[in-house]
Amino acid sequence: MLMRRIPAAAWIGGSAALFILAACLLPFVGPTTLDWGLVLRREEPDWSILVDLRLSRTLLGLFAGGALALAGALFQSMLRDALATPYTLGVSTGASLGAVLAIAFNWHTIAGVGGIWAGALAGAAFILFVVMGAATRHGQLSSSSLLLAGIAINSVCGAMILLVHGLTGISQSFAISRWLIGSLDAVERPTLLIYIVVVSVTSLLVVRQARRWNLLSVSESWAATRGADVRGALMQGYLAGSVLAAMTVALTGPIGFVGLVVPHLLRGRLGGDDRVLMPCAFLLGGVLLAGCDALGRAVLAPAEIPAGAITAFIGGPHLIWVVRRGGTR
Amino acid sequence: MTAPLLTVRHVGWRVPDGPDILQRVSLDVSGGEFVAVMGRNGAGKSTLLDIIAGLRSPSEGTVTIEGRVLEEWDRHERARAMAHLPQVLRGDLSVRAEAIVLMGRYPNAASWFESDEDVRIAHEAMVRCECFDFRHRTLATLSGGERQRVYLAACLAQQARLLLLDEPATFLDVDQQLQCFSVVREQAERGAACLAVTHDVNLALTFCTRLVVLADRGVARDVRTADALEDPSWLRAFSARLDLERGPSGAWVRYF
Repeated sequence: MLMRRIPAAAWIGGSAALFILAACLLPFVGPTTLDWGLVLRREEPDWSILVDLRLSRTLLGLFAGGALALAGALFQSMLRDALATPYTLGVSTGASLGAVLAIAFNWHTIAGVGGIWAGALAGAAFILFVVMGAATRHGQLSSSSLLLAGIAINSVCGAMILLVHGLTGISQSFAISRWLIGSLDAVERPTLLIYIVVVSVTSLLVVRQARRWNLLSVSESWAATRGADVRGALMQGYLAGSVLAAMTVALTGPIGFVGLVVPHLLRGRLGGDDRVLMPCAFLLGGVLLAGCDALGRAVLAPAEIPAGAITAFIGGPHLIWVVRRGGTR
Repeated sequence: MTAPLLTVRHVGWRVPDGPDILQRVSLDVSGGEFVAVMGRNGAGKSTLLDIIAGLRSPSEGTVTIEGRVLEEWDRHERARAMAHLPQVLRGDLSVRAEAIVLMGRYPNAASWFESDEDVRIAHEAMVRCECFDFRHRTLATLSGGERQRVYLAACLAQQARLLLLDEPATFLDVDQQLQCFSVVREQAERGAACLAVTHDVNLALTFCTRLVVLADRGVARDVRTADALEDPSWLRAFSARLDLERGPSGAWVRYF
Protein backbone atom coordinates (compact mmCIF):
# COMPACT_ATOMS: atom_id res chain seq x y z
CA MET A 1 0.00 0.00 0.00
CA LEU A 2 1.38 3.39 -0.92
CA MET A 3 0.90 5.81 1.92
CA ARG A 4 -0.96 8.82 0.82
CA ARG A 5 1.47 11.56 1.63
CA ILE A 6 -0.70 14.22 3.15
CA PRO A 7 1.71 16.54 4.88
CA ALA A 8 1.93 16.13 8.61
CA ALA A 9 1.11 19.77 9.16
CA ALA A 10 -2.19 19.42 7.32
CA TRP A 11 -3.24 16.47 9.48
CA ILE A 12 -2.33 18.18 12.73
CA GLY A 13 -3.82 21.49 11.63
CA GLY A 14 -7.04 19.85 10.48
CA SER A 15 -7.36 17.91 13.72
CA ALA A 16 -6.77 21.07 15.75
CA ALA A 17 -9.44 22.88 13.76
CA LEU A 18 -11.93 20.09 14.46
CA PHE A 19 -11.02 20.20 18.15
CA ILE A 20 -11.72 23.92 18.35
CA LEU A 21 -14.87 23.57 16.28
CA ALA A 22 -16.14 20.87 18.65
CA ALA A 23 -15.40 23.09 21.64
CA CYS A 24 -17.46 25.88 20.07
CA LEU A 25 -20.41 23.88 18.75
CA LEU A 26 -21.01 20.91 21.06
CA PRO A 27 -22.12 22.98 24.08
CA PHE A 28 -25.21 23.91 22.06
CA VAL A 29 -26.29 20.27 21.79
CA GLY A 30 -28.61 19.09 24.53
CA PRO A 31 -32.08 18.13 25.63
CA THR A 32 -33.29 21.70 26.11
CA THR A 33 -33.10 24.33 23.43
CA LEU A 34 -31.33 27.40 24.67
CA ASP A 35 -33.04 30.76 24.56
CA TRP A 36 -30.56 32.97 22.73
CA GLY A 37 -31.94 36.11 24.25
CA LEU A 38 -31.19 34.87 27.75
CA VAL A 39 -27.75 33.58 26.77
CA LEU A 40 -26.72 36.85 25.15
CA ARG A 41 -27.90 38.81 28.18
CA ARG A 42 -26.10 36.28 30.41
CA GLU A 43 -29.31 35.59 32.29
CA GLU A 44 -30.30 32.50 34.19
CA PRO A 45 -30.94 29.68 33.73
CA ASP A 46 -29.78 29.40 30.13
CA TRP A 47 -26.42 31.10 30.64
CA SER A 48 -25.54 28.67 33.47
CA ILE A 49 -26.75 25.68 31.48
CA LEU A 50 -24.47 26.67 28.62
CA VAL A 51 -21.37 27.64 30.57
CA ASP A 52 -21.46 25.68 33.83
CA LEU A 53 -23.00 22.50 32.52
CA ARG A 54 -22.54 22.04 28.79
CA LEU A 55 -19.29 23.91 28.20
CA SER A 56 -17.55 22.33 31.18
CA ARG A 57 -18.81 18.92 30.10
CA THR A 58 -17.65 19.46 26.53
CA LEU A 59 -14.20 20.57 27.69
CA LEU A 60 -13.96 17.54 29.98
CA GLY A 61 -14.92 15.32 27.04
CA LEU A 62 -12.38 16.91 24.72
CA PHE A 63 -9.50 16.61 27.15
CA ALA A 64 -10.52 13.21 28.56
CA GLY A 65 -10.84 11.73 25.07
CA GLY A 66 -7.52 13.32 24.15
CA ALA A 67 -5.78 11.98 27.25
CA LEU A 68 -7.11 8.46 26.73
CA ALA A 69 -6.28 8.33 23.01
CA LEU A 70 -2.78 9.69 23.61
CA ALA A 71 -2.13 7.27 26.48
CA GLY A 72 -3.33 4.44 24.22
CA ALA A 73 -1.03 5.50 21.37
CA LEU A 74 1.85 5.83 23.82
CA PHE A 75 1.39 2.39 25.36
CA GLN A 76 0.92 0.78 21.93
CA SER A 77 4.26 2.18 20.77
CA MET A 78 6.10 1.72 24.01
CA LEU A 79 4.93 -1.85 24.66
CA ARG A 80 4.86 -2.82 20.96
CA ASP A 81 1.41 -4.26 21.61
CA ALA A 82 -1.35 -3.42 19.14
CA LEU A 83 -4.04 -4.06 21.75
CA ALA A 84 -2.53 -1.96 24.53
CA THR A 85 -4.89 0.62 26.00
CA PRO A 86 -4.58 3.20 28.77
CA TYR A 87 -5.94 0.46 31.04
CA THR A 88 -3.40 -2.23 30.11
CA LEU A 89 -0.84 -1.32 32.73
CA GLY A 90 -3.18 -1.56 35.70
CA VAL A 91 -3.13 2.02 36.89
CA SER A 92 -6.63 2.87 35.73
CA THR A 93 -8.02 -0.27 37.30
CA GLY A 94 -6.26 0.83 40.47
CA ALA A 95 -7.97 4.20 40.10
CA SER A 96 -11.30 2.44 39.60
CA LEU A 97 -10.75 0.36 42.73
CA GLY A 98 -10.03 3.52 44.74
CA ALA A 99 -13.14 5.20 43.39
CA VAL A 100 -15.31 2.14 44.01
CA LEU A 101 -14.07 1.97 47.62
CA ALA A 102 -14.90 5.65 48.03
CA ILE A 103 -18.44 5.01 46.77
CA ALA A 104 -18.87 1.89 48.88
CA PHE A 105 -17.81 3.61 52.09
CA ASN A 106 -19.70 6.81 51.29
CA TRP A 107 -16.60 8.99 51.40
CA HIS A 108 -18.08 12.17 50.00
CA THR A 109 -15.08 14.29 50.73
CA ILE A 110 -11.57 13.41 51.77
CA ALA A 111 -9.45 16.29 53.04
CA GLY A 112 -11.73 18.77 51.30
CA VAL A 113 -11.69 17.16 47.85
CA GLY A 114 -14.26 14.91 46.25
CA GLY A 115 -14.08 11.40 47.70
CA ILE A 116 -14.22 9.58 44.36
CA TRP A 117 -11.57 11.82 42.84
CA ALA A 118 -9.26 11.44 45.84
CA GLY A 119 -9.86 7.70 46.13
CA ALA A 120 -9.14 7.16 42.45
CA LEU A 121 -5.89 9.11 42.53
CA ALA A 122 -4.74 7.33 45.68
CA GLY A 123 -5.58 3.95 44.13
CA ALA A 124 -3.69 4.83 40.96
CA ALA A 125 -0.61 6.02 42.84
CA PHE A 126 -0.54 2.87 44.94
CA ILE A 127 -0.81 0.58 41.91
CA LEU A 128 1.82 2.62 40.07
CA PHE A 129 4.40 1.70 42.69
CA VAL A 130 3.27 -1.92 42.88
CA VAL A 131 3.55 -2.40 39.09
CA MET A 132 6.85 -0.56 38.89
CA GLY A 133 8.25 -2.67 41.72
CA ALA A 134 6.97 -5.92 40.25
CA ALA A 135 8.33 -5.10 36.80
CA THR A 136 11.85 -4.14 37.89
CA ARG A 137 14.33 -6.97 38.19
CA HIS A 138 18.01 -6.41 38.97
CA GLY A 139 17.44 -2.72 38.28
CA GLN A 140 16.25 -3.55 34.76
CA LEU A 141 12.92 -2.55 33.31
CA SER A 142 11.56 -3.86 30.04
CA SER A 143 8.33 -3.47 28.10
CA SER A 144 7.49 -7.13 28.51
CA SER A 145 7.96 -7.12 32.29
CA LEU A 146 5.84 -3.94 32.55
CA LEU A 147 3.15 -5.54 30.42
CA LEU A 148 3.07 -8.74 32.47
CA ALA A 149 3.06 -6.95 35.82
CA GLY A 150 0.35 -4.57 34.58
CA ILE A 151 -1.94 -7.32 33.34
CA ALA A 152 -1.47 -9.37 36.52
CA ILE A 153 -2.28 -6.44 38.79
CA ASN A 154 -5.18 -5.45 36.53
CA SER A 155 -6.87 -8.75 37.18
CA VAL A 156 -6.29 -8.55 40.94
CA CYS A 157 -7.83 -5.05 41.06
CA GLY A 158 -10.69 -6.21 38.84
CA ALA A 159 -11.43 -9.05 41.25
CA MET A 160 -11.35 -6.67 44.22
CA ILE A 161 -13.78 -4.32 42.48
CA LEU A 162 -16.18 -7.23 41.99
CA LEU A 163 -15.77 -8.20 45.64
CA VAL A 164 -16.48 -4.69 46.95
CA HIS A 165 -19.36 -4.37 44.51
CA GLY A 166 -20.88 -7.62 45.74
CA LEU A 167 -20.57 -6.77 49.43
CA THR A 168 -22.15 -3.29 49.37
CA GLY A 169 -25.77 -2.32 49.74
CA ILE A 170 -28.19 -1.77 46.89
CA SER A 171 -27.80 1.97 46.51
CA GLN A 172 -24.00 1.92 46.58
CA SER A 173 -24.01 -1.04 44.27
CA PHE A 174 -26.09 0.92 41.75
CA ALA A 175 -23.81 3.92 42.05
CA ILE A 176 -20.79 1.68 41.46
CA SER A 177 -22.28 0.09 38.33
CA ARG A 178 -23.19 3.49 36.99
CA TRP A 179 -19.70 4.81 37.70
CA LEU A 180 -18.00 1.79 36.08
CA ILE A 181 -19.70 2.46 32.74
CA GLY A 182 -17.89 5.76 32.57
CA SER A 183 -19.61 8.99 31.68
CA LEU A 184 -19.02 12.69 31.47
CA ASP A 185 -20.63 14.88 34.06
CA ALA A 186 -20.16 18.54 34.65
CA VAL A 187 -17.34 19.08 37.14
CA GLU A 188 -16.57 22.13 39.22
CA ARG A 189 -14.51 24.78 37.57
CA PRO A 190 -11.35 24.55 39.75
CA THR A 191 -11.19 20.76 39.29
CA LEU A 192 -11.68 21.10 35.55
CA LEU A 193 -8.98 23.76 35.37
CA ILE A 194 -6.47 21.60 37.25
CA TYR A 195 -7.36 18.64 35.05
CA ILE A 196 -6.91 20.57 31.79
CA VAL A 197 -3.56 22.00 32.90
CA VAL A 198 -2.17 18.64 34.05
CA VAL A 199 -3.37 16.82 30.91
CA SER A 200 -2.02 19.50 28.59
CA VAL A 201 1.40 19.63 30.21
CA THR A 202 1.73 15.83 30.39
CA SER A 203 0.59 15.45 26.78
CA LEU A 204 3.08 18.00 25.54
CA LEU A 205 5.87 16.19 27.38
CA VAL A 206 4.81 12.89 25.79
CA VAL A 207 4.50 14.27 22.26
CA ARG A 208 7.85 16.03 22.56
CA GLN A 209 9.48 12.59 22.96
CA ALA A 210 7.79 11.18 19.84
CA ARG A 211 11.07 10.20 18.20
CA ARG A 212 11.92 8.01 21.17
CA TRP A 213 8.51 6.29 21.01
CA ASN A 214 9.13 5.68 17.30
CA LEU A 215 12.45 4.00 18.09
CA LEU A 216 10.93 1.95 20.91
CA SER A 217 8.14 0.75 18.63
CA VAL A 218 10.80 -1.11 16.59
CA SER A 219 12.56 -2.70 19.55
CA GLU A 220 14.35 -1.85 22.76
CA SER A 221 17.78 -2.75 21.43
CA TRP A 222 17.09 -0.75 18.25
CA ALA A 223 16.30 2.28 20.39
CA ALA A 224 19.33 1.74 22.62
CA THR A 225 21.82 1.46 19.75
CA ARG A 226 20.38 4.58 18.12
CA GLY A 227 21.33 6.43 21.32
CA ALA A 228 18.01 6.54 23.19
CA ASP A 229 17.78 6.07 26.96
CA VAL A 230 15.46 3.06 27.02
CA ARG A 231 15.04 2.67 30.77
CA GLY A 232 14.39 6.37 31.21
CA ALA A 233 11.94 6.39 28.34
CA LEU A 234 9.99 3.44 29.73
CA MET A 235 9.79 5.00 33.20
CA GLN A 236 8.71 8.37 31.85
CA GLY A 237 6.25 6.84 29.42
CA TYR A 238 4.71 4.69 32.11
CA LEU A 239 4.45 7.63 34.51
CA ALA A 240 3.01 10.00 31.90
CA GLY A 241 0.51 7.46 30.57
CA SER A 242 -0.53 6.69 34.13
CA VAL A 243 -1.06 10.33 35.01
CA LEU A 244 -3.21 10.81 31.89
CA ALA A 245 -5.25 7.67 32.48
CA ALA A 246 -5.65 8.02 36.25
CA MET A 247 -6.64 11.70 36.19
CA THR A 248 -9.20 10.90 33.53
CA VAL A 249 -10.63 7.80 35.17
CA ALA A 250 -10.94 9.73 38.42
CA LEU A 251 -13.26 12.26 36.75
CA THR A 252 -15.14 10.15 34.22
CA GLY A 253 -14.92 6.51 35.27
CA PRO A 254 -13.29 3.96 33.00
CA ILE A 255 -14.51 5.04 29.57
CA GLY A 256 -13.59 2.20 27.26
CA PHE A 257 -12.20 1.90 23.78
CA VAL A 258 -11.31 5.54 23.00
CA GLY A 259 -7.72 4.67 23.83
CA LEU A 260 -7.77 1.64 21.54
CA VAL A 261 -9.92 2.80 18.63
CA VAL A 262 -8.54 6.25 17.92
CA PRO A 263 -4.84 5.38 17.60
CA HIS A 264 -5.74 2.31 15.53
CA LEU A 265 -7.94 4.17 13.09
CA LEU A 266 -5.29 6.83 12.66
CA ARG A 267 -2.39 4.39 12.32
CA GLY A 268 -4.15 2.81 9.35
CA ARG A 269 -4.66 6.21 7.69
CA LEU A 270 -1.61 8.30 8.44
CA GLY A 271 1.01 5.69 9.36
CA GLY A 272 2.82 4.94 12.56
CA ASP A 273 5.01 8.03 12.96
CA ASP A 274 4.24 9.13 16.50
CA ARG A 275 5.22 12.72 15.71
CA VAL A 276 2.06 12.99 13.62
CA LEU A 277 0.01 10.19 15.14
CA MET A 278 0.19 11.40 18.75
CA PRO A 279 -1.00 14.99 18.28
CA CYS A 280 -3.74 13.82 15.93
CA ALA A 281 -4.79 11.05 18.33
CA PHE A 282 -5.09 13.57 21.15
CA LEU A 283 -7.12 16.09 19.16
CA LEU A 284 -9.39 13.61 17.38
CA GLY A 285 -9.79 11.41 20.47
CA GLY A 286 -11.14 14.47 22.22
CA VAL A 287 -13.52 15.22 19.37
CA LEU A 288 -14.73 11.60 19.37
CA LEU A 289 -15.47 11.45 23.09
CA ALA A 290 -17.08 14.89 23.28
CA GLY A 291 -19.08 14.00 20.17
CA CYS A 292 -20.22 10.67 21.65
CA ASP A 293 -21.30 12.49 24.78
CA ALA A 294 -23.27 15.08 22.79
CA LEU A 295 -24.88 12.21 20.91
CA GLY A 296 -25.78 10.55 24.21
CA ARG A 297 -27.45 13.76 25.39
CA ALA A 298 -29.43 14.29 22.22
CA VAL A 299 -30.60 10.85 21.06
CA LEU A 300 -32.95 9.80 23.85
CA ALA A 301 -33.52 13.23 25.39
CA PRO A 302 -34.41 13.87 28.12
CA ALA A 303 -32.79 10.55 29.08
CA GLU A 304 -29.02 10.30 28.64
CA ILE A 305 -26.83 7.48 27.36
CA PRO A 306 -23.48 7.52 29.18
CA ALA A 307 -20.57 8.37 26.89
CA GLY A 308 -18.80 5.19 28.06
CA ALA A 309 -21.65 3.07 26.69
CA ILE A 310 -21.59 4.83 23.32
CA THR A 311 -17.82 4.50 22.91
CA ALA A 312 -18.15 0.79 23.75
CA PHE A 313 -20.89 0.42 21.14
CA ILE A 314 -18.53 1.88 18.56
CA GLY A 315 -15.38 0.29 19.97
CA GLY A 316 -16.52 -3.32 20.17
CA PRO A 317 -17.39 -3.74 16.50
CA HIS A 318 -14.29 -1.79 15.58
CA LEU A 319 -12.12 -4.21 17.51
CA ILE A 320 -13.64 -7.14 15.60
CA TRP A 321 -13.00 -5.28 12.36
CA VAL A 322 -9.38 -4.69 13.35
CA VAL A 323 -8.87 -8.36 14.16
CA ARG A 324 -10.53 -9.49 10.93
CA ARG A 325 -8.36 -7.20 8.86
CA GLY A 326 -5.33 -8.75 10.53
CA GLY A 327 -4.53 -5.65 12.54
CA THR A 328 -3.70 -2.13 11.48
CA ARG A 329 -0.36 -1.95 13.15
CA MET B 1 49.88 0.26 12.33
CA THR B 2 47.15 2.53 13.66
CA ALA B 3 45.60 2.04 17.08
CA PRO B 4 42.64 -0.32 16.91
CA LEU B 5 39.21 1.27 16.74
CA LEU B 6 37.69 -1.50 18.83
CA THR B 7 39.42 -3.37 21.63
CA VAL B 8 37.76 -6.27 23.41
CA ARG B 9 39.73 -7.45 26.46
CA HIS B 10 39.11 -10.65 28.45
CA VAL B 11 35.37 -10.34 28.01
CA GLY B 12 33.13 -12.99 29.54
CA TRP B 13 29.39 -13.38 29.69
CA ARG B 14 27.35 -15.70 31.85
CA VAL B 15 23.65 -16.51 31.63
CA PRO B 16 22.25 -15.28 34.98
CA ASP B 17 22.47 -18.33 37.29
CA GLY B 18 23.55 -20.36 34.27
CA PRO B 19 26.52 -21.47 32.24
CA ASP B 20 29.26 -19.31 30.76
CA ILE B 21 28.66 -18.37 27.13
CA LEU B 22 31.91 -16.45 26.61
CA GLN B 23 35.14 -16.51 28.61
CA ARG B 24 38.16 -14.23 28.26
CA VAL B 25 37.46 -13.15 24.70
CA SER B 26 39.98 -10.65 23.34
CA LEU B 27 39.85 -9.00 19.95
CA ASP B 28 41.27 -5.90 18.25
CA VAL B 29 39.62 -4.47 15.15
CA SER B 30 40.99 -1.49 13.22
CA GLY B 31 39.32 0.80 10.74
CA GLY B 32 39.31 -0.70 7.26
CA GLU B 33 38.82 -4.25 8.48
CA PHE B 34 35.76 -6.32 7.63
CA VAL B 35 35.61 -9.17 10.14
CA ALA B 36 33.36 -12.18 9.72
CA VAL B 37 32.26 -13.42 13.14
CA MET B 38 31.54 -17.10 12.68
CA GLY B 39 30.81 -20.18 14.71
CA ARG B 40 28.18 -22.78 15.34
CA ASN B 41 24.75 -22.08 16.85
CA GLY B 42 25.09 -20.98 20.45
CA ALA B 43 28.79 -20.15 20.10
CA GLY B 44 28.12 -16.64 21.44
CA LYS B 45 28.36 -14.60 18.23
CA SER B 46 25.31 -12.45 18.91
CA THR B 47 26.25 -12.19 22.58
CA LEU B 48 29.65 -10.79 21.62
CA LEU B 49 28.09 -8.22 19.28
CA ASP B 50 25.53 -7.25 21.93
CA ILE B 51 28.30 -6.72 24.47
CA ILE B 52 30.27 -4.54 22.06
CA ALA B 53 27.09 -2.59 21.30
CA GLY B 54 26.48 -2.03 25.01
CA LEU B 55 23.22 -3.98 25.03
CA ARG B 56 24.53 -6.43 27.62
CA SER B 57 27.10 -5.78 30.29
CA PRO B 58 29.90 -8.34 30.28
CA SER B 59 30.32 -10.29 33.50
CA GLU B 60 34.04 -9.60 33.17
CA GLY B 61 36.44 -7.72 30.91
CA THR B 62 36.16 -4.43 29.06
CA VAL B 63 35.23 -3.07 25.65
CA THR B 64 37.10 0.00 24.47
CA ILE B 65 36.22 2.11 21.44
CA GLU B 66 38.70 4.68 20.17
CA GLY B 67 40.60 4.41 23.42
CA ARG B 68 37.59 5.10 25.62
CA VAL B 69 35.83 2.44 27.72
CA LEU B 70 32.27 1.79 26.53
CA GLU B 71 30.58 2.95 29.73
CA GLU B 72 32.23 6.37 29.51
CA TRP B 73 30.57 7.22 26.21
CA ASP B 74 27.58 9.53 26.07
CA ARG B 75 24.60 7.71 24.51
CA HIS B 76 24.25 9.92 21.45
CA GLU B 77 27.98 10.17 20.90
CA ARG B 78 28.24 6.39 21.09
CA ALA B 79 25.43 5.93 18.59
CA ARG B 80 27.26 8.23 16.20
CA ALA B 81 30.37 6.10 16.56
CA MET B 82 28.72 2.70 16.35
CA ALA B 83 25.71 1.20 14.59
CA HIS B 84 24.22 -2.17 15.44
CA LEU B 85 21.85 -4.29 13.34
CA PRO B 86 20.02 -6.80 15.56
CA GLN B 87 19.31 -10.28 14.31
CA VAL B 88 15.53 -10.09 14.39
CA LEU B 89 13.55 -6.90 14.04
CA ARG B 90 9.89 -6.15 13.99
CA GLY B 91 8.22 -6.38 10.60
CA ASP B 92 4.59 -5.53 11.28
CA LEU B 93 4.96 -1.76 11.61
CA SER B 94 2.86 0.68 9.60
CA VAL B 95 5.87 2.96 9.32
CA ARG B 96 7.26 3.96 5.94
CA ALA B 97 10.60 2.43 4.96
CA GLU B 98 12.07 5.89 4.65
CA ALA B 99 11.05 6.73 8.22
CA ILE B 100 12.88 3.63 9.47
CA VAL B 101 16.06 4.72 7.69
CA LEU B 102 15.66 8.23 9.07
CA MET B 103 15.68 6.69 12.57
CA GLY B 104 19.39 6.13 11.92
CA ARG B 105 19.74 9.91 12.07
CA TYR B 106 18.34 10.05 15.63
CA PRO B 107 21.73 10.55 17.32
CA ASN B 108 22.64 13.29 14.82
CA ALA B 109 19.46 15.31 14.47
CA ALA B 110 18.66 17.51 17.42
CA SER B 111 15.38 18.83 16.05
CA TRP B 112 11.99 17.17 16.10
CA PHE B 113 11.96 16.57 12.36
CA GLU B 114 15.06 15.57 10.42
CA SER B 115 16.81 18.15 8.24
CA ASP B 116 17.16 18.04 4.45
CA GLU B 117 20.72 16.89 5.03
CA ASP B 118 19.45 13.94 7.10
CA VAL B 119 17.01 13.04 4.33
CA ARG B 120 19.79 13.22 1.75
CA ILE B 121 21.99 10.89 3.81
CA ALA B 122 19.10 8.48 4.35
CA HIS B 123 18.29 8.42 0.64
CA GLU B 124 21.89 7.78 -0.27
CA ALA B 125 21.97 4.83 2.15
CA MET B 126 18.74 3.50 0.65
CA VAL B 127 20.14 3.69 -2.86
CA ARG B 128 23.21 1.76 -1.79
CA CYS B 129 21.09 -0.95 -0.17
CA GLU B 130 18.76 -1.01 -3.18
CA CYS B 131 15.66 -0.15 -1.21
CA PHE B 132 15.12 3.42 -2.43
CA ASP B 133 12.35 2.41 -4.81
CA PHE B 134 10.04 1.31 -2.03
CA ARG B 135 10.83 4.11 0.39
CA HIS B 136 7.16 5.13 0.63
CA ARG B 137 5.84 1.66 1.35
CA THR B 138 5.12 0.65 4.93
CA LEU B 139 7.36 -1.92 6.55
CA ALA B 140 4.46 -4.35 6.98
CA THR B 141 3.98 -4.59 3.20
CA LEU B 142 7.62 -5.50 2.48
CA SER B 143 9.09 -8.98 2.22
CA GLY B 144 11.55 -10.20 4.84
CA GLY B 145 14.53 -9.51 2.61
CA GLU B 146 13.34 -6.05 1.59
CA ARG B 147 12.83 -5.20 5.25
CA GLN B 148 16.32 -6.40 6.09
CA ARG B 149 17.75 -4.03 3.47
CA VAL B 150 15.77 -1.14 4.95
CA TYR B 151 17.19 -1.84 8.41
CA LEU B 152 20.71 -2.15 6.95
CA ALA B 153 20.23 1.22 5.23
CA ALA B 154 19.25 2.69 8.61
CA CYS B 155 22.55 1.47 10.03
CA LEU B 156 24.49 3.02 7.14
CA ALA B 157 22.59 6.29 7.56
CA GLN B 158 23.96 6.43 11.08
CA GLN B 159 27.38 7.04 9.45
CA ALA B 160 29.12 5.17 12.23
CA ARG B 161 32.80 4.29 12.31
CA LEU B 162 32.05 0.88 13.76
CA LEU B 163 29.39 -1.34 12.16
CA LEU B 164 28.07 -4.37 14.05
CA LEU B 165 25.83 -6.51 11.88
CA ASP B 166 24.13 -9.59 13.28
CA GLU B 167 23.43 -11.84 10.30
CA PRO B 168 22.82 -9.00 7.83
CA ALA B 169 22.28 -11.44 4.96
CA THR B 170 19.43 -13.41 6.56
CA PHE B 171 16.31 -13.49 4.38
CA LEU B 172 18.22 -12.02 1.42
CA ASP B 173 18.24 -13.68 -1.99
CA VAL B 174 21.66 -14.66 -3.33
CA ASP B 175 22.08 -11.49 -5.39
CA GLN B 176 21.12 -9.31 -2.44
CA GLN B 177 23.48 -11.24 -0.14
CA LEU B 178 26.30 -10.31 -2.49
CA GLN B 179 25.05 -6.72 -2.68
CA CYS B 180 24.84 -6.50 1.11
CA PHE B 181 28.38 -7.78 1.64
CA SER B 182 29.72 -5.53 -1.12
CA VAL B 183 28.20 -2.51 0.56
CA VAL B 184 29.71 -3.44 3.92
CA ARG B 185 33.05 -4.07 2.25
CA GLU B 186 32.79 -0.61 0.72
CA GLN B 187 32.17 0.87 4.17
CA ALA B 188 35.32 -0.87 5.39
CA GLU B 189 37.30 0.49 2.45
CA ARG B 190 36.07 3.97 3.39
CA GLY B 191 37.66 3.43 6.81
CA ALA B 192 34.96 1.88 8.97
CA ALA B 193 35.57 -1.16 11.16
CA CYS B 194 32.91 -3.75 10.33
CA LEU B 195 31.94 -6.94 12.14
CA ALA B 196 29.31 -9.18 10.59
CA VAL B 197 27.96 -12.44 11.93
CA THR B 198 27.49 -14.89 9.09
CA HIS B 199 27.13 -18.59 8.48
CA ASP B 200 28.04 -18.38 4.82
CA VAL B 201 31.71 -19.37 4.61
CA ASN B 202 32.03 -18.46 0.93
CA LEU B 203 30.56 -14.99 1.44
CA ALA B 204 33.04 -14.49 4.26
CA LEU B 205 35.98 -15.69 2.14
CA THR B 206 34.94 -13.46 -0.75
CA PHE B 207 34.28 -10.18 1.03
CA CYS B 208 35.79 -10.20 4.52
CA THR B 209 39.38 -9.34 5.34
CA ARG B 210 39.49 -11.46 8.46
CA LEU B 211 37.67 -14.42 9.99
CA VAL B 212 37.01 -14.80 13.70
CA VAL B 213 35.63 -18.21 14.64
CA LEU B 214 34.04 -18.62 18.05
CA ALA B 215 33.98 -22.04 19.70
CA ASP B 216 34.25 -23.42 23.24
CA ARG B 217 33.31 -20.06 24.80
CA GLY B 218 36.20 -18.24 23.18
CA VAL B 219 37.96 -17.24 20.00
CA ALA B 220 39.01 -20.54 18.39
CA ARG B 221 40.50 -18.97 15.26
CA ASP B 222 41.38 -15.44 14.28
CA VAL B 223 42.87 -15.51 10.79
CA ARG B 224 43.29 -13.17 7.86
CA THR B 225 41.24 -14.30 4.87
CA ALA B 226 44.39 -14.72 2.78
CA ASP B 227 45.73 -17.23 5.33
CA ALA B 228 42.39 -18.99 5.64
CA LEU B 229 42.53 -19.70 1.93
CA GLU B 230 45.87 -21.49 2.42
CA ASP B 231 45.06 -23.63 5.44
CA PRO B 232 41.59 -25.23 5.66
CA SER B 233 41.94 -26.38 9.28
CA TRP B 234 39.65 -23.55 10.50
CA LEU B 235 36.75 -25.26 8.75
CA ARG B 236 36.84 -28.04 11.38
CA ALA B 237 35.24 -25.63 13.81
CA PHE B 238 32.02 -25.76 11.77
CA SER B 239 31.65 -29.23 10.34
CA ALA B 240 33.62 -32.26 9.19
CA ARG B 241 31.81 -32.03 5.88
CA LEU B 242 33.58 -28.97 4.51
CA ASP B 243 36.77 -28.66 2.54
CA LEU B 244 38.65 -26.05 0.53
CA GLU B 245 38.51 -26.55 -3.21
CA ARG B 246 41.19 -24.86 -5.26
CA GLY B 247 40.74 -23.77 -8.83
CA PRO B 248 42.34 -21.40 -11.29
CA SER B 249 40.18 -18.49 -10.08
CA GLY B 250 40.90 -19.03 -6.37
CA ALA B 251 39.63 -21.20 -3.55
CA TRP B 252 36.14 -21.80 -2.23
CA VAL B 253 34.49 -24.04 0.32
CA ARG B 254 32.92 -27.23 -0.96
CA TYR B 255 30.27 -29.26 0.89
CA PHE B 256 30.35 -33.03 0.88
